[in-house]
Amino acid sequence: MFKKCLLGLATLVSFFAFVSTVNAAEPHYTITTDATYAPFTFQDKNSNYVGIEQDTMKAIAKRENFTYTMRPMSYNSAAQLVSNGQADGIIAGMSITPERKEVYDFSTPYYKTGVAWIVRKNSKIKSLNDLKGQTVALKTGTAASEYGKSLQAEYGFKVKYFNDTDTMYNDVVVGNSAATFEDMPVIQYAIKNGMALKVMNVNKPGNAGSYGFAVEKGKNKILLASFNHGFAAIKKDGTYDKIVAKYLGASQATFSGTKKDNSSIWGIMTSNRAALLKGLWQTLELTVIAIILASVWGVLLGVLGVSEYRWVRAISTTIIYIFRGLPLMVLAFFIYIGLPGVTGVKIPAFTAGIITLILNEGAYTGAFVRGGFEAVNRGQMEAARSLGLPYGSAMRRVIMPQGLRIMVPSFINQFIITLKDTSILSAIGLLELTQTGTLIVARNSQGFRVWAIIAVIYLIVITLLTWLSNWVEKKLK
Amino acid sequence: MMSEIQKKVKVHVEKVNKSYGENHVLRDISLDIAENEVVVMIGPSGSGKSTFLRMLNQLETPDNGTIVVDGFDISEKATDINKVRENIGMVFQNFNLFNNYTVLENIMLAPVELGKLDKVAAEKKARELLKTVDLVDKADVSVNSLSGGQKQRIAIARALAMEPDVMLFDEPTSALDPEMVGDVLEVMKNLAESGMTMIIVTHEMGFAKQVADRVVFFEAGKIQESGVPEQVFNAPKNERLQEFLSKVMHA
Ligand SMILES: Nc1ncnc2c1ncn2[C@@H]1O[C@H](COP(=O)(O)OP(=O)(O)OP(=O)(O)O)[C@@H](O)[C@H]1O
Ligand SMILES: [Mg+2]
Repeated sequence: MFKKCLLGLATLVSFFAFVSTVNAAEPHYTITTDATYAPFTFQDKNSNYVGIEQDTMKAIAKRENFTYTMRPMSYNSAAQLVSNGQADGIIAGMSITPERKEVYDFSTPYYKTGVAWIVRKNSKIKSLNDLKGQTVALKTGTAASEYGKSLQAEYGFKVKYFNDTDTMYNDVVVGNSAATFEDMPVIQYAIKNGMALKVMNVNKPGNAGSYGFAVEKGKNKILLASFNHGFAAIKKDGTYDKIVAKYLGASQATFSGTKKDNSSIWGIMTSNRAALLKGLWQTLELTVIAIILASVWGVLLGVLGVSEYRWVRAISTTIIYIFRGLPLMVLAFFIYIGLPGVTGVKIPAFTAGIITLILNEGAYTGAFVRGGFEAVNRGQMEAARSLGLPYGSAMRRVIMPQGLRIMVPSFINQFIITLKDTSILSAIGLLELTQTGTLIVARNSQGFRVWAIIAVIYLIVITLLTWLSNWVEKKLK
Repeated sequence: MMSEIQKKVKVHVEKVNKSYGENHVLRDISLDIAENEVVVMIGPSGSGKSTFLRMLNQLETPDNGTIVVDGFDISEKATDINKVRENIGMVFQNFNLFNNYTVLENIMLAPVELGKLDKVAAEKKARELLKTVDLVDKADVSVNSLSGGQKQRIAIARALAMEPDVMLFDEPTSALDPEMVGDVLEVMKNLAESGMTMIIVTHEMGFAKQVADRVVFFEAGKIQESGVPEQVFNAPKNERLQEFLSKVMHA
């Protein structure tokens, strides 16, 4: 038992130590983006990241002889990863503003933009004055949302925040919010592709500005210079204009699939089969690894929690207290975005996700393992000790086997919770099932059908997991 | 006095006190128990009998005073209590058999785990002990399928597997149906006859009369009277003992 715990600990430690190192002759960069931002960046029907920004980046990298890994995630995470040095650059429809210039160095602008204000297609709202007392949907951290917020006092509306573009649009479409603010080209593309919204200020965009590629202030000067140099070249030879035309002139079917593909659950499932399977696989991988390691870590915490030494128990109690108290998403952000900023060690999202799950699920496991041991009748311990068994042997031979048996249902419950909790890791850009759903909806705007499919997949997996656990439980008895 | 010198003192207790908060449970208790002696402790509920017994193998620790068992001063911090406990068997009112093992495994666990016997020798010993408690056919059953009387006899066998010098019994028959009591007392009587040093807390006065070399009466955390059974039961001097006896004898 003890040996197993040590082994688990060793695995854990090696996970912490695992950092991404890419060595290549050409410079290699990590670029972050927001993959729910068509036509600039989005996932096409074949699960490739495409869009004006993606094609531009590709063309520039080819000309300037560098390679890069593109990391799609929520806009906020994408921006933070660059500002704290975890990633090298960001291309995610980032408007160049004076505040951002304090934190980032920007390239030459690659796209002129302005802010649109948008309502439902058949809405009765005529002017900003009609928004008084109504709710306006905004996306966290964007320039468009700041523009919207700056009008709040004047027009007296309420504000509601979203993490991705598509959920925000849908909130307006279904009528939960009365209006939203978004960058002009983005909303125009969405409307062209069937989003039931209308722009109220086509000829008078607010806060006209431009998008730029950005790096952390004072860092990655070579990357920035390459981008500027390459951009000037593709602008001059017409490549860039072709890219823009390709996306703004395209019909929905080109990237999102045909109407037939998107108008039924079956169509969505077959046309997104590869993406869904990949997402499911990632979810399963996260779940299985997390279940195993969190159980090992949790049992270790539980064992320490019933140690005969007070200070050992105190350590266990403290760890359980901290990691049970932290919301999973906060922990994930802290490990993935917060820690590397201080330590300078980059952690791959998958590793960060696993560590997050181990710490969180392990704390819950530790608590019920300790409780299970304590629930074993006191007389069992007294009988073992009165025979001369030391505390450790008594624990191992008598208390733990009985305690673990009590805990089996708690373990099964925790496994199911772990599976569900993997969905929260979509926040750090892990392409698991939930994030896969987000990306598909961003492309085809079929929120109801896609989320129904995702929900059913989760239920099926949970059912299988429950069956498996019950089978194991029977075997144990 | 002369005979005391020849007989080895197995358990020596001197001026022991124990309090639970305000509750002064044991008050200046002193008691010597000789090798091969069978001492029965009686007294009303809450008088401190269990606390005293459990202090002899340090399931409870005294606040002060000296306890020497088998030559080891267990009130000393440096004493390896696990080693001392190997030589002190304890039998509980609620049996406390290990629920996760069979009867045989219960008896074998301690000798094997503590390296006293290898598995083969331990199993042989366990089967012999099952014979002495008359439960040979129960070797491989789960302990939860046993009756109370059977459980207690297995508990005694489990303690004996460590070949202790002293056996402690805390109300071994109190949780049993009346028809089971006899079997357990029979085993204990045989053990006494074989020369085991035994300290027994019990309400079985008939058994005490028959088996005890000495009867000790506890009341309010003090030994109020002690002596041979004839004297304690037939000519009690202490007023509280008289009162106690009149209650239990009429019950
Ligand atoms: N762990 C404990 N914490 C607090 N008080 C205790 C504890 N154990 C025993 N006591 C108290 O000490 C006193 C003596 O208890 P003890 O169990 O030794 O009595 P006893 O003579 O064995 O009684 P009985 O015949 O009911 O078993 C009682 O008042 C009891 O409430
Ligand atoms: Mg008692």
